[in-house]
Amino acid sequence: MTEHKLMDPAGARDLYLPEMAEIVAVKDLTDQEKLYEIVLPEGRELGHKPGQFVAVSMFGAGEAPFSVSSSPTRLGSFELGVRKVGMLTEMMHRLVPGEKVGIRGPFGNGFDMEALRGKDLLIIAGGIGLVPMRSLINYAIDRRDDFGRLIICYGSHSDAELLFNDERKLWDQDPRIEHHVTVDVGSDEWTGNTGVITTLIPRLELDLSRTVACVCGPPVMYRYVQLALRSKGLPEKEIFMSLERRMKCGVGKCGHCQINNTFVCTEGPVYNGLELKSLQEAL
Amino acid sequence: MTAMMLDNDRVVDFVTHLQENKPVYAPHAKGRSSFVFDQVEKPDDVVLDYPRTLHSIKKFFLPPQDDLLDFNLVENSFTEPELKPFDAVFLGVHSYDLHAVMRLDYVYSQGNPERNYLARRQGAVFVGVSFTPDKHHFSGSVGIGTNDTTGFDVFLHIVDDGYAVEALTEAGTDLLQGFDMPVYEGALPASAHFEQHIYVPQGKLLDVFDHGYHSVVWSDEAAHCTGCGTCNLICPTCSCFNVEDHVDVTVTHGTRTRSWDSCMLRGFGEVAGGEVFRENLADRQRHRVYRKFKYISDETGEPWCVGCGRCTMNCTAGISIVNIVNRLVNEYDKSRAAV
Repeated sequence: MTEHKLMDPAGARDLYLPEMAEIVAVKDLTDQEKLYEIVLPEGRELGHKPGQFVAVSMFGAGEAPFSVSSSPTRLGSFELGVRKVGMLTEMMHRLVPGEKVGIRGPFGNGFDMEALRGKDLLIIAGGIGLVPMRSLINYAIDRRDDFGRLIICYGSHSDAELLFNDERKLWDQDPRIEHHVTVDVGSDEWTGNTGVITTLIPRLELDLSRTVACVCGPPVMYRYVQLALRSKGLPEKEIFMSLERRMKCGVGKCGHCQINNTFVCTEGPVYNGLELKSLQEAL
Repeated sequence: MTAMMLDNDRVVDFVTHLQENKPVYAPHAKGRSSFVFDQVEKPDDVVLDYPRTLHSIKKFFLPPQDDLLDFNLVENSFTEPELKPFDAVFLGVHSYDLHAVMRLDYVYSQGNPERNYLARRQGAVFVGVSFTPDKHHFSGSVGIGTNDTTGFDVFLHIVDDGYAVEALTEAGTDLLQGFDMPVYEGALPASAHFEQHIYVPQGKLLDVFDHGYHSVVWSDEAAHCTGCGTCNLICPTCSCFNVEDHVDVTVTHGTRTRSWDSCMLRGFGEVAGGEVFRENLADRQRHRVYRKFKYISDETGEPWCVGCGRCTMNCTAGISIVNIVNRLVNEYDKSRAAV
């Protein structure tokens, strides 16, 4: 039996102390979601990768993880998209520019942008899953020549819940972006596609030798999107999925986000289909 | 290293001697049949011959309630509570409980090393004592004998009329300085016999768990489980925690506190949308046991269960971790025989 070495605390960090960061802008996305632009002390960069997340502190309500919505290519601040669902997000929705929140992170593996370089990116976002995927999309837009095609499939429950409408108009106008949208249930004014997100997939023409899919959405979506992509012939290892778990620490200690033997907060949240196959508790 | 002889009638003097430099924590009798690790006030309250304490010494380094920060709601600011080493002598620790501490040392040193735990862990001196296994101990099956001195500074071997005292480190030698004892003349006793066993050689355990994921054992055992989480709360190697903010009555100040949590509770695996990724008790039972024998063990090569018997002894539904593992071993052996 080995004796485990006890590390000198001088070499350990304060894992749980947030930095007080300033909210510089708040924008309504829908009546349920807001977008916050946040600046760290002394204007320091967050230094995140697309797909990474931060823990936001609201003293009294606690802490919760939020994916970073902005691309690291856009310097000076970062953005979080927040849906009002509980006490912490209720409190966040009352914040105005000039107020401060606690930030820890960035945490998680994020997307491996080096591995994605040169590939056709197929982004599949369901509902609020567009918030984290927007980081990846804007990264690819800002470094457009580093990537092949940029195909975005976005599904929402209804047209009233569609996010980032102004930005998505620009994607529509950009000849180098293929932007497909569907809603489960359209209003009378809706003239676009209706149907769940998987209905967008069969009609795509993909070069399977160079396509990588990046998927984020509600838990129920992953299994069906994976099936649809597999029947297009896309290998499991080319399908990257960003999972969501409740987290208390973000640093691989509290155990809440553990799926079988992996900690989503440190080894995830992005896993490829092959990795997820051995994780029975994942989907 | 020569062992010294500590006669039973000098144990109180020995405890008094240990108290000279540092506070001493040791087992005390509590209630009708329980024992707890507590600070020694009266040396003759110390009990060195005990089966196991209710909680292990984990509670000193990873307290059940641990403030991570104090916040001020008026100023929207916070301060960090002072992190102090638990500078004390732990007397009468059993081998499996120190092995559990060494596993926690690993958890809090690897990956993102955690200052909160590591700072508290400095300065402790461990004086172990051998024990007589009862019907729940099975640490022998996970490689931890009753006289395993790994990690200890001083170890007391139970012998006729008292203890054979071994100093194992410099800190241990310093601790015994000034307390004269005659040389112990006999041979040090071997590990005592265990009544309870996991029937598999240690190296093969990982294979058993590679095989047992879809076993019927999980739903069988979960049929009795009430999901109370006691097994996690008294486990010396469980280290999962919850974090919550507590606001005081003035609504001006509060603390962010972490507290022991349990993967057997339903809410543990719940995510923001309300979905629970380990919905039934069989899934949760399996997760608990895999955390003890498989997941981290794949990484470190050793079981994360130290064989203390606490979860079995305290289970409100009579579920035995030894029984679970032995049923898996059985299934594994049968499947091998069938090949």
